[in-house]
Amino acid sequence: MASVHENLYFNPMMTNGVVHANVFGIKDWVTPYKVSVLALLYDMTSSKISLPERRRLNKLILPLQQGPDLSLGQFLKTVEECCPQTAYAVKLRLHEMADGELKDMEYFFATLPTPFSAFDSEAYKTSVVGLFMRHMLLAYNKLSFSQVYKLYKSLQHYYHSHYAKPTDGQVSLPALAADDSEMDLTSTEDTVGDRIDKEESDLPLHESELQNDNTPSRGPLSQKQAEYFLARQAYLLKNDENKALKPAALQEELNNMLKFNPDFAEAHYLNYLNSMRVQDIFLSAHSLLHYFDRLILSGNEGKSNGDEGYGRSLRYAALNLASLHCRFGHYQQADLALQEAIRIAQESNDHVCLQHCLSWLYTLEQMRGSDSTVLTEDSVKMAAHFCLPYLASLGIQSLVQQGATQGKTAHKLMDALKDTDILHWKHSLSELIEISLAQTTSIWRMYGKSTMALQQAQLLLNMSSLEPVNFGVQQNNTEAFAVALCHLAELHAEQGLYSAVAEILLHLKEQFPSHTQHAKLWMLCDLKIQFDRHMHEGKYHLAEPLVTAISALNKTEGLYRKALVLKALNRSTEAYSILQRLQMHCEKKKCTEVVIRVMLSTAELHWESSGFSTALPLLLQALALARQHHLQSLASKTILHLAFTQLMLGVPEQALTVLHEAIEPILAHGSVMDRGQALLLTALCQMEVAGFRPNRQGQADSHMTVLAVNTLNEAAAYFSKLNCKEHLRDVHYLQALLHRSLGQTSQSNKSAMLFRLLDQELQSPAPPVSMRL
Amino acid sequence: MAALCTEFGDLVQIKKQLISVILLCKERGLLHSAKWASELAFALDPLPKDELPPSPPFTEEDAQDLDALTLAKSYFDLKEYDRAAYFLKGCCSQKAYFLYMYSRYLSGEKKKDDETVDSLGPLEKGQVRNEALRELRVELSKKHIAGELDGFTLYLYGVVLRKLDLLKEAVEVFVEAIHALPLHWGSWLELSNLVTNIEMLKSLSLPDCWIKDFFMAHMYTELQMIKEALQKYQNLMEAGFSKSTYIISQIAVAYHNIRDIDQALALFNELREQDPFRIDNMDTFSNLLYVKSMKPELSYLAHNLVEIDKYRVETCCVIGNYYSLRSQHEKAALYFQRALKLNPRCLGAWTLMGHEYMEMKNTSAAIQAYRHAIEVNKRDYRAWYGLGQTYEILKMPFYCLYYYRKAHQLRPNDSRMLVALGESYEKLSQQVEAKKCYWRAYSVGDVEKMALLKLAKLHEQLNEYDDAAQCYMLYIQDIFSCGEQLEHAEVSTALRYLGQHYFKNKLYDEASLCAQRCCDYNDAREEGKALLRQISLVRDQIETPSADLFAPLSNNNTPVRRVSPLNLISFTP
Repeated sequence: MASVHENLYFNPMMTNGVVHANVFGIKDWVTPYKVSVLALLYDMTSSKISLPERRRLNKLILPLQQGPDLSLGQFLKTVEECCPQTAYAVKLRLHEMADGELKDMEYFFATLPTPFSAFDSEAYKTSVVGLFMRHMLLAYNKLSFSQVYKLYKSLQHYYHSHYAKPTDGQVSLPALAADDSEMDLTSTEDTVGDRIDKEESDLPLHESELQNDNTPSRGPLSQKQAEYFLARQAYLLKNDENKALKPAALQEELNNMLKFNPDFAEAHYLNYLNSMRVQDIFLSAHSLLHYFDRLILSGNEGKSNGDEGYGRSLRYAALNLASLHCRFGHYQQADLALQEAIRIAQESNDHVCLQHCLSWLYTLEQMRGSDSTVLTEDSVKMAAHFCLPYLASLGIQSLVQQGATQGKTAHKLMDALKDTDILHWKHSLSELIEISLAQTTSIWRMYGKSTMALQQAQLLLNMSSLEPVNFGVQQNNTEAFAVALCHLAELHAEQGLYSAVAEILLHLKEQFPSHTQHAKLWMLCDLKIQFDRHMHEGKYHLAEPLVTAISALNKTEGLYRKALVLKALNRSTEAYSILQRLQMHCEKKKCTEVVIRVMLSTAELHWESSGFSTALPLLLQALALARQHHLQSLASKTILHLAFTQLMLGVPEQALTVLHEAIEPILAHGSVMDRGQALLLTALCQMEVAGFRPNRQGQADSHMTVLAVNTLNEAAAYFSKLNCKEHLRDVHYLQALLHRSLGQTSQSNKSAMLFRLLDQELQSPAPPVSMRL
Repeated sequence: MAALCTEFGDLVQIKKQLISVILLCKERGLLHSAKWASELAFALDPLPKDELPPSPPFTEEDAQDLDALTLAKSYFDLKEYDRAAYFLKGCCSQKAYFLYMYSRYLSGEKKKDDETVDSLGPLEKGQVRNEALRELRVELSKKHIAGELDGFTLYLYGVVLRKLDLLKEAVEVFVEAIHALPLHWGSWLELSNLVTNIEMLKSLSLPDCWIKDFFMAHMYTELQMIKEALQKYQNLMEAGFSKSTYIISQIAVAYHNIRDIDQALALFNELREQDPFRIDNMDTFSNLLYVKSMKPELSYLAHNLVEIDKYRVETCCVIGNYYSLRSQHEKAALYFQRALKLNPRCLGAWTLMGHEYMEMKNTSAAIQAYRHAIEVNKRDYRAWYGLGQTYEILKMPFYCLYYYRKAHQLRPNDSRMLVALGESYEKLSQQVEAKKCYWRAYSVGDVEKMALLKLAKLHEQLNEYDDAAQCYMLYIQDIFSCGEQLEHAEVSTALRYLGQHYFKNKLYDEASLCAQRCCDYNDAREEGKALLRQISLVRDQIETPSADLFAPLSNNNTPVRRVSPLNLISFTP
């Protein structure tokens, strides 16, 4: 029976039902790697080494002593880079031990310079080296008989596994070459089992076992190695997810680690982070709770309810649970968890934790879409009071964001941002600096100052991170970077630089693969750009399928785009009802930008039914809104619409004066499309003012006509940049008319031909010029 | 059942089979299987002398290996496995080969256990494994492909595979082993450890043998399908195994699992009479005694077991329970720790220790113990429930929801989890969810009869008077229908509310009935009388109608007595 021996099982390392590995009170354990380091130290003290080499070696000692265990190949390579002679000596010494007998190792430990006797050497008892040697000697002396033998065995394995790999680029010295062949013989004995195993490859071996055979690195990690691994992966997850292991691989590593060391609580936390990456609510919740259960155990030694004890971890456990639910969009659950955290924190007077709770509370409120300004303000005040700069400026940033959407004046927002920036630089909160820059970009973009936005985005992208660069990672995987890059892509798209856009998007795709949490940002951005492009080019059938994709990412935006497509396809009734609904919804949600855009689209719909006078109040309302919120680009767009309406209502002079107000910002900051439209409209107004009528030639003011021709030329340049054929057709038509009126027949004919070509290309009949902007 | 009867008709045949398999197992050192078969054989009538089965045929090979085998077997019995293996090397008979491989396996296991004691530090913790396993696997798989393995070696091969975590292959090999040698209980038992759900059980192709019924009954118990298991065991009893202590103990455990305490206790008492020195399953017995708070019996059991063998896991658990019942929780925890030292994979002890720490208000230690229990077996609902209770004590109702949910998932029809969930929801002011939980708890059969009361109070809070009244009605019916008066019953509260309710709805006859019943209870007597007075007043006024005089009485709720956090222990197996 298999359970027979389970009754034999008796583990004396257990006290209180818990396995304590450290039962003998030994902190350091002798490992083969440590033996190699000892050999190195021994050789350094005993042999003569030139000064620069010694300096290099001295610099190496501390990392070697404190770092994780390296393989022999790595170790020798590191030493060889500093001093080939010592590396050779170390190798020789290890070879002596590994190929000799147990007594050779015992002899080695016996001959180590005792730190108590060597007064002059570096190995004196109080030096770093001496301390390490003493630790090692102590640990070695405490080993039991069988443990010593085991250590020797593992040393042999350590040494031989280095030579078993033929791919290792180690240049073996000629003196050792003969020994190598000998060692190969011994190594075959060691790995005889493996060889047999491989010969029997026709057996149906299980996959997992094969993996175990082939990858020797997949063993248990030492404590330090495990910590290093976890720290590295966590850092990478935070800063550059692509460089971290793939979610599945990382999960496997963690499972492996937990299998060998179930008490390693931090692994559970990393597991939680990893599961968050793939949006696995079950596993992440499970790991999070497991981590805190474990943490409560380890924190047990402190006071039971003070700052140190497990009461603290309880609070943070609840808080973390809240954040977990928040990330998955379970707002009610998050709310409950947060209340719990707040209650416990209040009971134990933990202001710092309370402060964290408060900042999560306003985030939660914000995510739910309700106004949380008061809460945020409170949070900022409290955070400042408790000297938590991170939370304070995070609060301010969130306030700025709210203020921007609510139409606070620009200088106040910018002032606030500037103040927080001072705070950031003072405390080197690099993460927040990035967020702040990204936020400024967004705000400028919202205000319609594309140049400023461009500059801020470039500033962020070109800034070298303040974070100490670990593991060769530049911190450029955060949300701030994603936002800035998306803005950059959209700005380029506005200028019609589509190849640049494609490049930026490609970079985004590489930096933020589609399974990561910020991928949605660039997905939406990509779709919007594609949509706009198709709309400009008049390929409505291509734009239509994109609407579904956009609505999946952002409902409001999707609905708006749907209305646009319907309008372009002349399905006005449907478009109108959608726009009405959207306006209601957005007014409730206070999405001012969308409201204005919806109003403009509605006005355009009114034009189609020649309801110019009904469009007027709408446009005026939109203008007021845009001005109130300082949305310059939308305001100028509205003015364009207004001018067009006035033109249609027969007051071209008025229209022209209104236009003059808008033309400057549009030319400075507007997109190519806006510029083209503005110029086209100007030309129309100029023609009207000049008294130009297509039927009655020769009576027009020729000066104004020439002006109009020039304006049209400019507009044509913009439209051709975007490949916007419908507008180009209009432009050519008008140009042909104007040229004819000026008597320039050849130019007139040329324009007419261009018009004809475009007209043939476009299937739809040209709507009257007067009907659209 | 006809098939079963014919199958079991020939008890003599079964007895013969058992006797021969006992011999085979003994020769191979498979002690537990031999024990199981012997127990079963003992339950059957003895055979006359001339009916005893002939000893198995003695081949040429056996004769050749006889000396080596005898020597090796004696070494094996003395736990000198390497020595046994050395002398068996080169033997060609099946028996010798099995013993050879088995000694190598056990030697590896023994070394592994010894290794864990002096490893080279935390680096190697968990790294220790049975080095012999891989070699054994290679050799056995070679022979397996060649078809040279008999039932016993197949079993060993399966064990090796399982130890290497190759579970799928292990299941196949165990099934093969069972087909080759159906009478070997060890293979069945190993297989039962690998079957995780009923679908998997159904998909296995097992030989049609009488022993299969034992296996199925065992499996049903494992998979918490107690009704089916009991039915199976009942059939086996009727078929002639009524004296088997094995079956009696299994039925007792099954009753324990469905919390039929009295039946289980009766069976255990019977078992102790038949087999007074038995230690197996006695921890379960002690749990039952604990639930019933039968101090003298538990004390007697504990002392008796200590006399038999004090270094057994079961004994330690019994003593732990004994101390726990005497409220000496430190000592109880100590004994559970001892049980864990004897076998760290003893699940029950981890959970029980958690309960003890909870009693001692040492929440962090309790969490640790429960977590360990979960690590040993993820499906241990008691540990999940315990964790939930711990966090509830720490006043984190939202946090404990997760754990209660886990427990509920594992035992969907256990009202205790549902009531706990409901209470947590109530604390979070999620009344809708709480109501659902309570109602569900009532529907699955509430053990503690608390769900309805809580539900009624919840309705009362939410001003849903009719629903509340209905719940109180059901509650009263429930309490009276179960005959005995439960200690914590709050019938008076229910009656008081019902009286007021009927009074408000002008159902004076019912109201007066309730009020009269109220007078039976001390705490509600005054109010009952007051209500009666009011009723008579109103009735008078109906005869001489006038403006309504009666003002509603204040209904002061007596708070529900808090259920002890350890009420779960009452049903821990």
